[in-house]
Amino acid sequence: MPHPTQSFVRNGLLSVIDAAAYAAIGPHLEPVDLPKGTVLIEAGKPFTHAHFFNSGIGSIVVSTEDSRRVEAGIFGREGLSGFGCLLGADQCPQTTLVQVEGEGYRVSIGALRNACQQSNSLHDTLLRYVHVFISQTSYTALSNVNQSVEGRLARWLLMCHDRVTGDDIALTHEFLSIMLAVQRPSVTTALHMIEGYGFIKARRGHITIVDRDALIDFADGMYGTPEAEYRRLIGPFG
Amino acid sequence: MSRFYLHQQIANGIIEDPDGTEAVDLTAAKHEAILAARQLLANAILTGMPPLGTAFQITDEAGEVLLTLAFIDALPPGFIATD
Repeated sequence: MPHPTQSFVRNGLLSVIDAAAYAAIGPHLEPVDLPKGTVLIEAGKPFTHAHFFNSGIGSIVVSTEDSRRVEAGIFGREGLSGFGCLLGADQCPQTTLVQVEGEGYRVSIGALRNACQQSNSLHDTLLRYVHVFISQTSYTALSNVNQSVEGRLARWLLMCHDRVTGDDIALTHEFLSIMLAVQRPSVTTALHMIEGYGFIKARRGHITIVDRDALIDFADGMYGTPEAEYRRLIGPFG
Repeated sequence: MSRFYLHQQIANGIIEDPDGTEAVDLTAAKHEAILAARQLLANAILTGMPPLGTAFQITDEAGEVLLTLAFIDALPPGFIATD
């Protein structure tokens, strides 16, 4: 079966690994569309595939039995889903789903593990990504307890902006309220405030980033460190 | 289930609820509005910025106002002295 050549892939991990590492994983990559809402990893179910995104945004969500939810982290073309399999796990308690549609490659868990055994540099690169992801969730925890709803929203919009092409992000208030674990009117009010400052334009189901630098200032140190960690350890980002 | 909208009254107008919310009845929608008002007040207290809004207008899909809930009335009983 033909598989993508390394120069063709846009995933940040697959494009920075050395040729031998790509030779180990490349033949196992299957192109897939990633429609909005697709569940890639179901909580408590065995991993079957990891997904390397070329575009789109994935979201890792934790929830209680009575449906209280919060987003633990996001990833896009810089990362992959299902990285728990690299850490020796067969399943995980979080759900991973597509929140902004895109496309990428899937690889079976067995093939990914074998590829990592063949290539230490592939394994190391993927583990460095897991480290960056843990940095992101750490900052999310810091932001959740220290920031206003509008500060958290600003940080989150920046993280989405890094992972989409252009300045438009398609998101409903309801979706934002789930991701930030706040009541919907808190999202509406926070968007109204940030728009009032001139940082974004909000239309129904749609947010446009107008002044990214001002949003970063407004996020008050909560945005940027995990992103810098990715650039330091892996490669270009955003 | 019906769709209810929680529009916010602010000093110079209304912040519209663009999407609305599904609730079994007006009592359930009011419960959601109470929780939302508490969160808006809590966020305002934490940031030291006065809340933008003062009340929710709960409307149906046709835009008819079914109930107005002042944020101050969303505080838990005994939370502040009112007279």
